[in-house]
Amino acid sequence: MKKVLFLTLCLSLVLFMGQRSTVRAADKPLVIGGSLPLTGKFAETAKWIEKGMKFWAEEVNAKGGLLGRKVTFKIYDDQSNAGKAVTFAEKAITVDKVDLLFGGYPGTAARAVMPVAEKHKFVYVSMGGHMKSFQQGYTYSFGGPPLMGEWWYEGFYQWVKSLPVDQRPKRAAVYTMNNPIGTSLMDSINRMSKDLGVKIVINEKYNLPLPDATPLIMKAKQMNCDLLFSSGFFADGVMTVRTAKALNYNPKAIVQGVGSIIPAWVKELGKDGDYIFSGTVLHNKLGYPGNDKLNAYVKKTYNLSGYPLYFGFGYAWMQTLSQGVEGAKGLNQTKIRDWLKSHTVQTIAGPMSFDAKGLPAPVNYCTQVINGKVELVWPKEVRTAEPIYPKPAWK
Amino acid sequence: MNTVLVIQSLISGIMMGSVYALLGVGFSLTWGVLKVINISHATFGLIGAFLAYTLLKWLGMDPIFSLVVSVPLLFFLACLIFRFLIVPITKAKDVIVTSMILTFGIAIILENLMLLIWSPDPRLLTTAYTSKVLILGPFYFQYPKLAGFLMSAIGVLVIHFFLKKTYTGKAVRAAWQQPDAAQLYGINLRRISMITFGIAVASAGAGGVGMAFLYSFDPHAHNLWLIYLFLVVIVGGVGNVLGAAFAGLIIGVITGLSLAFLPYQWVNLLTFGLLMVILIIRPHGLFKGEV
Repeated sequence: MKKVLFLTLCLSLVLFMGQRSTVRAADKPLVIGGSLPLTGKFAETAKWIEKGMKFWAEEVNAKGGLLGRKVTFKIYDDQSNAGKAVTFAEKAITVDKVDLLFGGYPGTAARAVMPVAEKHKFVYVSMGGHMKSFQQGYTYSFGGPPLMGEWWYEGFYQWVKSLPVDQRPKRAAVYTMNNPIGTSLMDSINRMSKDLGVKIVINEKYNLPLPDATPLIMKAKQMNCDLLFSSGFFADGVMTVRTAKALNYNPKAIVQGVGSIIPAWVKELGKDGDYIFSGTVLHNKLGYPGNDKLNAYVKKTYNLSGYPLYFGFGYAWMQTLSQGVEGAKGLNQTKIRDWLKSHTVQTIAGPMSFDAKGLPAPVNYCTQVINGKVELVWPKEVRTAEPIYPKPAWK
Repeated sequence: MNTVLVIQSLISGIMMGSVYALLGVGFSLTWGVLKVINISHATFGLIGAFLAYTLLKWLGMDPIFSLVVSVPLLFFLACLIFRFLIVPITKAKDVIVTSMILTFGIAIILENLMLLIWSPDPRLLTTAYTSKVLILGPFYFQYPKLAGFLMSAIGVLVIHFFLKKTYTGKAVRAAWQQPDAAQLYGINLRRISMITFGIAVASAGAGGVGMAFLYSFDPHAHNLWLIYLFLVVIVGGVGNVLGAAFAGLIIGVITGLSLAFLPYQWVNLLTFGLLMVILIIRPHGLFKGEV
């Protein structure tokens, strides 16, 4: 009898402890870890990513959390160092034992973290490090949405295609920074040249920092190029545009790479920054669900008329990851990956279905700076302003 | 051969190189006279650029006139730094290495202060004459580059004549050439060193404004500018004011010619390749190392 009583007591105790631990697991916050460059040269942008992610968490937690658990972040500062981003990704997975990994920034860090995520079989949703990083056979990495250099001028290319043949530019001067981002931008330029018959008259790469843009512009002017591609960052981009103005070089269109869609372009160049074409995969004026809400939030919190691009990226990556978790109904990374590869996610950048590489169908919107605002000019269905072409002469 | 392109590239390169010279002359002076390799030199240049930017935005003050504020301010700041940070390390066994470590720390502190004050956003100096050009035949002289060139010419000449013609300047030269004998003649070495450091840092402020006429800048830009400083000093010779000026011009000419004749991706390779060749052939620079 005593034996039976003892066994019953033990069983009750085990059941009680089990119940308690179940309650504890549900109470335990769901930790999403990784690193962002919160100091160093990419800090300003990364802080917007962090804000976007935290706004997403705020929203999710207000609705009861993810899988019923409150979401918290374990964010390390990788000091704008891709090597440290790798170390912190390893630490988050192996030491902190986080539940999920969040996407890093910039592309160099994302590219470096992708093999770490693959090694530990952790789903990694980020901007990616351009096409090459998605061609390495990684199965756990997703660009949701990606920042793909190879697609950067796709929107511009499609818009030029829509122009009557006699109005299209004929001769292009292409100046490209000699790094993986710059060279990835050549992809759509080459396709455009082949498809639309735009002759590439000058095709030069330069190493950063660009010491002087005068010879570049003078050559483009002398060779009557009516299309200028300045595929660089902010510093070389503004130098090229300013020199074009000083030398009174007036091509039909100037297309700039990464520099012209950041707020500093408009703020610092003023009217001289107008009419520059570029591309983007995300924009606060897109009509997809959620954009209005984000715009309202940044208006209220930061007094901004629209959310900054990287705020949107931080939010969108978390949208993709969380839909994978909800779809897989748990934190099994392989199940999350498989769900993401077989379903469509809804994000502020639009609906996305991922291919074997973890990429959605190529998407790029053509932008143009008009009256100090980055406007969407192509495709027509997302257009926020009529494109201004040919570019008015410098005043 | 496209003569217009070649000459235009040369003009542009020379104007650009002259600004490097103004930024580098003080660096050379500090290294030569004090045996202090001031890693924070370009950071002071950046402070000059940010002050010019702020005064332009707030008061509409022309960046050249902002030198009236930034040059004395940087001179005063440099004297304080010299008194309280540089003097103690002059007792170190290896002043050059210790000074590099110390001034590297100063650069990091100043960079972080600039990040706090001005944020990491890139800036541009935009004046009424930013896009204006002087056109002489087929050649363009951009006003901001001309302004940088003139500032540099005046700055380098002022420092040169100060060293050659004034009593304090002669004392600086004496301190560089024969420190012990100079002391015997009653020259206060510490005071002279402080003035040298002050002038060097103040000239960096002017050089920073010149750089801001050419390039966008942010609180991290000093890391890049520092490379140009070493280039100027290594080509021009340590402590040689006119050598630094010629070095700037030589670098400008090489860059301009490279841009005109070679694929652009070769330009930096050629410029820094030249630096290595000069180091091998003339380890003390092209010009005699003398203040």
